[in-house]
Amino acid sequence: MTLFAALASIVFGAMAKDTAQERMLYGLKAFAQFMVIGLVLAWILYFIP
Amino acid sequence: MAKTERAQAEEVEQTPAYAWLIGAAAWFFPGLGHALLKKFGRSVLMGGAILGCFIIGLAMGGHMFDLSTGQGSSQLLQVPPMIANIGTGAPYIMCWLAGYGFADDPTQAARATYEYGNTFLLIGGLLNYLAMLDAFDIAAGRKP
Repeated sequence: MTLFAALASIVFGAMAKDTAQERMLYGLKAFAQFMVIGLVLAWILYFIP
Repeated sequence: MAKTERAQAEEVEQTPAYAWLIGAAAWFFPGLGHALLKKFGRSVLMGGAILGCFIIGLAMGGHMFDLSTGQGSSQLLQVPPMIANIGTGAPYIMCWLAGYGFADDPTQAARATYEYGNTFLLIGGLLNYLAMLDAFDIAAGRKP
């Protein structure tokens, strides 16, 4: 999941926004969102039989 | 009214022909479109990430889709993932010509990483479609 989040975030970050700093921030934000949402969903599904 | 609409339509900028070529190149090999536009940083990042998805997907035992499996309506179910896989461009075509990465036998499907591999291969293709559209927009002057 971490690998997937990193690779997808790199592409999203490289495409978005105008300046290099904005792109890096967007990539990091996308990575954090992938990880947090992935972990939250995993814990929700863990309790569903 | 009709004249105004026609005038507005004529004002719309035509897409330059090379933008289509850049788009085709970006699809054909991940990162090539941005490299031709001299955006080498983006080219390396995008191309590396997309090829990384592809290689990791194959290494995990994932398989790509084509129309050789399934019969009748079940063959239609192969079309959406096949479109996603085709997004990778040349790597997909090379594997298809070599007959590598399309096997869907039970031994391979039993691997714990089989579905992860499939997902990486699908996402690699879809990300390359995004990269292709980005390169096209840059070449057409719609994006810096």
